[in-house]
Amino acid sequence: MVNFTVDEIRGMMDKKKNIRNMSVIAHVDHGKSTLTDSLVSKAGIIAGAKAGETRFTDTRKDEQERCITIKSTAISMYFELDEKDCVFITNPDQRDKEEKGFLINLIDSPGHVDFSSEVTAALRVTDGALVVVDCVSGVCVQTETVLRQAIAERIKPVLFMNKMDRALLELQLESEDLYQTFQRIVENVNVIIATYSDDDGPMGEVRVDPSKGSVGFGSGLHGWAFTLKQFSEMYAEKFKIDVVKLMNRLWGESFFNPKTKKWSKQKEADNKRSFCMYVLDPIYKVFDCIMNYKKDEAESLLQKLGITLKPEDKDKDGKALLKVVMRTWLPAGEALLQMIAIHLPSPVVAQKYRMEMLYEGPHDDEAALGIKNCDPNAPLMMYVSKMVPTSDKGRFYAFGRVFSGKVCTGMKARIMGPNFTPGKKEDLYEKAIQRTILMMGRYVEAIEDVPSGNICGLVGVDQFLVKTGTITTFKDAHNMKVMKFSVSPVVRVAVEPKNPADLPKLVEGLKRLAKSDPMVQCIIEESGEHIIAGAGELHLEICLKDLEDDHACIPIKKSDPVVSYRETVSEESDQMCLSKSPNKHNRLFMKAQPMPDGLAEDIDNGDVNPRDDFKVRARYLCDKYDYDITEARKIWCFGPDGTGPNILLDCTKGVQYLNEIKDSVVAGFQWAAKEGVLSEENLRGVRFNIYDVTLHADAIHRGGGQIIPTTRRCLYACLLTAAPRLMEPVYLCEIQCPEVAVGGIYGVLNRRRGHVFEELQVAGTPMFVVKAYLPVNESFGFTADLRSNTGGQAFPQCVFDHWQILPGDPTESGTRPFQVVQDTRKRKGLKEGLPDLTSYLDKL
Amino acid sequence: MLYVIGLGLGDAKDVTVKGFEIIRKCDRVYLEAYTSVLTVGHETLEKFYGRPVIVADRELVESGADEILAEAEVKKVAFLVVGDPFGATTHTDLVLRAREKGVQVQVVHNASILNAVGCCGLQLYSYGEVVSIPYWIENWEPDSFYDKIATNRERGLHTLCLLDIKVKEPTLESILKRKKDYMPPRFMSVAEAADQLLKIVERKIEAGEKGLAFTGDSLAVGLARVGADDQRIVACSLREMIEADLGPPLHCLVVTGPILHPLEAEYLLQYATDKEKFEEMTKQKESP
Repeated sequence: MVNFTVDEIRGMMDKKKNIRNMSVIAHVDHGKSTLTDSLVSKAGIIAGAKAGETRFTDTRKDEQERCITIKSTAISMYFELDEKDCVFITNPDQRDKEEKGFLINLIDSPGHVDFSSEVTAALRVTDGALVVVDCVSGVCVQTETVLRQAIAERIKPVLFMNKMDRALLELQLESEDLYQTFQRIVENVNVIIATYSDDDGPMGEVRVDPSKGSVGFGSGLHGWAFTLKQFSEMYAEKFKIDVVKLMNRLWGESFFNPKTKKWSKQKEADNKRSFCMYVLDPIYKVFDCIMNYKKDEAESLLQKLGITLKPEDKDKDGKALLKVVMRTWLPAGEALLQMIAIHLPSPVVAQKYRMEMLYEGPHDDEAALGIKNCDPNAPLMMYVSKMVPTSDKGRFYAFGRVFSGKVCTGMKARIMGPNFTPGKKEDLYEKAIQRTILMMGRYVEAIEDVPSGNICGLVGVDQFLVKTGTITTFKDAHNMKVMKFSVSPVVRVAVEPKNPADLPKLVEGLKRLAKSDPMVQCIIEESGEHIIAGAGELHLEICLKDLEDDHACIPIKKSDPVVSYRETVSEESDQMCLSKSPNKHNRLFMKAQPMPDGLAEDIDNGDVNPRDDFKVRARYLCDKYDYDITEARKIWCFGPDGTGPNILLDCTKGVQYLNEIKDSVVAGFQWAAKEGVLSEENLRGVRFNIYDVTLHADAIHRGGGQIIPTTRRCLYACLLTAAPRLMEPVYLCEIQCPEVAVGGIYGVLNRRRGHVFEELQVAGTPMFVVKAYLPVNESFGFTADLRSNTGGQAFPQCVFDHWQILPGDPTESGTRPFQVVQDTRKRKGLKEGLPDLTSYLDKL
Repeated sequence: MLYVIGLGLGDAKDVTVKGFEIIRKCDRVYLEAYTSVLTVGHETLEKFYGRPVIVADRELVESGADEILAEAEVKKVAFLVVGDPFGATTHTDLVLRAREKGVQVQVVHNASILNAVGCCGLQLYSYGEVVSIPYWIENWEPDSFYDKIATNRERGLHTLCLLDIKVKEPTLESILKRKKDYMPPRFMSVAEAADQLLKIVERKIEAGEKGLAFTGDSLAVGLARVGADDQRIVACSLREMIEADLGPPLHCLVVTGPILHPLEAEYLLQYATDKEKFEEMTKQKESP
């Protein structure tokens, strides 16, 4: 029963005010996919009875087996709002006056932290987010991570409290306790929102509020849900109060005395919280009489509620009957879709404030204006956020969002990868789009063209883009900003084919793998080793399985996982480091020093970045980190890759023709920052100062060939003289468990150099949450170890948190960092032993 | 013992008798082949000297100098340089390092473009600082030599511009890797040099600078293969120089001072492409 056709959808696509692009985000196992199914069942793709049992969006076999979502999936849905509900939409840009139907493009994304990059990719193409929280476990680490990302991308959230059935049936919470639980979750969510945005910001008020209807409650599994709007409508007539006003009274410190018929703001002896009385009590009653088999009572109650059961449902009892009743009374699809249509922004509204976050170019060029106005007649601007494998092995659909203009089958467009810079040819292709398609869960449908504000897939673009890119028809267009992932690929394994003759297949498979996952990195080391880097053990496991089964289709041998390290320094260089160019006529004088605490993180977060106005940046560095303001104004560059957490400062005074070698010095710096001196790992948190430069009198003798290698040698000398150190990645690890298991957790963490920094009880439950820092290197097998030490009662969620110095001097044999350096060097095929200072440092 | 021997400009036979005799009795002969080239290949030299000749590229001379010097400690090593040994600044370092190691050094001089350029008639006394014009590449378009030409002209001096040669230079990308790729050999022609000079002038005009050192109408002299039998010299305006084809390398270019001595003008006239226009240019006192 598909109640819309492609043509109908295409018609809706033009009504950009009636479009909602949204993602569903949550912590793992909070029930996103199940909930999504109840939405899809309402929109009519699968039969209503199966909602809750089939996970429509989990398209992969392993997803269905493991019951977790691995890849994000998009579905388009169609929903009509009743005339009476249309008044809730006040912004004229949120609805076409003549149109009651809404096209909702929904993306279900994974909840496990290892797949956060999928969430990031989903957030980029949507404007709103349905944040699902399990009301029993509350706001968890991944809820916070994704919510934070959503706010940073200017995605408006609405909240859904899931698994109410568990709260009622398993925990048997009293209604007042349940209210308190809800209240706490709403508060927690709003605290996170308030931390990353404010009400005066361009998005306006972002907070969620049950009395405004932007918070839903219910059970995805049982297929029922409501917002206060539903209950308010039920009572509005009885109380003769306006629905909106009543909604306000149904939440918060609002009490009703049934005897005196008076509302009050305080709890008194004979009044009751209105939320409990009018919302929770009826639900409790239904649960009570059905689950306790009070048949007669149930029947009269059903009559009161106006629920008529279908003949085939009449014989059911217990849970099965409860499901039917609740689903008929408070259908989840209806409530959620209403909430989505009313509270989430249309592309017209959202793109106005998102443009400046999305577009790298000037904010007043044709592309920027096209995005800002969501104008289908402007030049095409589309962002491809991920690649989705097709049934044709090795080929991918490019999945993304049209922000401006129209993308049509057969049109010629510029395909720009992330390394494209305007005016250059690098990473740029001008090709025809073979086909535009609609992506709906497991199925795709061809479509003639797709206008701005919509999500779609493209065929034939995959060969020109690695993972992401911008597609445009505007020849002066800049790139859309690349996505910033909240996790880093810190865990890596080396792979090789079991049969050496299969190597070409492996190489081809790795290319496909790199495409299919937004974050995974496939690297070939100088030693010829093939490395796959991912966010965590599970992520790698899935990647390897995909590689073996789908992409390369050959048996693969893999090494033990290793983590990537960073190289840094702990002191200022103990001498002025001099290096001479090969022709000996150019001399560089430099020193390295550690960055003050927090600066590297500021650069990671983009608070300090190469695009800032240099004066503003210098002021910030001066105020926050006590940098000398004149020096701070002369940051030559960030690195590696022009953006990394290391900087090169020009502290020279009056060197003639210095600008002529700047690019070569920068190139040498990027090189050294990418491959540090100890083991060719990236640098982190190092500041290099150039103090003096002697140059050959003639330009020809100070070109890149002379300066680039010299810069690198000089920087290496700086590092070696500044007490070099290694940094290792550390996970923030959140573990939920019952009290008895807490002891076991401490034991496991201690053995693995982890330390607990927070331990608290989840209010209203016997569960404890333990938060700890755990070095990534110690995390392999952690989950299994934890389970066996706690009788399977503790479940960890690990998310990359920060880098920390691995104690010890890597240049002193016998220390741990020394061993790491030697292992890394061996793995990379570098000369064993330590780098020799004299080969980098020259004498005057 | 290290002998640093200049080979002169033209072909194999331009070596001095003294140099020739030394080469004949050396155990090892290196030919430095990246700051300049002869019109003949190194096989011709081998035949002429009757000795094997090792072609030394930049990497060997700059980074592998210790290897050459180690041999020179025990054997007689000749290091052949096209032109004069100290024309290329790099070799001062080689001599310095030899001294450090206690290796004896003998230098045999020869003609260099720095004096042979006198052949075009412009007096050697009236030259200012010598500059090199490097090939421009993406992201690296230095123009500091313009300032030097400007200073020379302000003082009424000619400027000898040596033009970039890339014999075996690693590509920029490969500098960052362990395995080196080399650019194809390139030699800048006077036309390319004139083009770059005028581009700099255009940029300065765009940037609103006034009182430019030269324009497309300024007189320039292009020289090719000086010292060889097919040597060519052309005198014309810089703009016309862009169209000039002086044949195979090496080329060099002279940007003349604003005023020529009458004798210079008279001598140079024989190389003018357009005699009338040349007379016009040299008669009219260019405004500085």
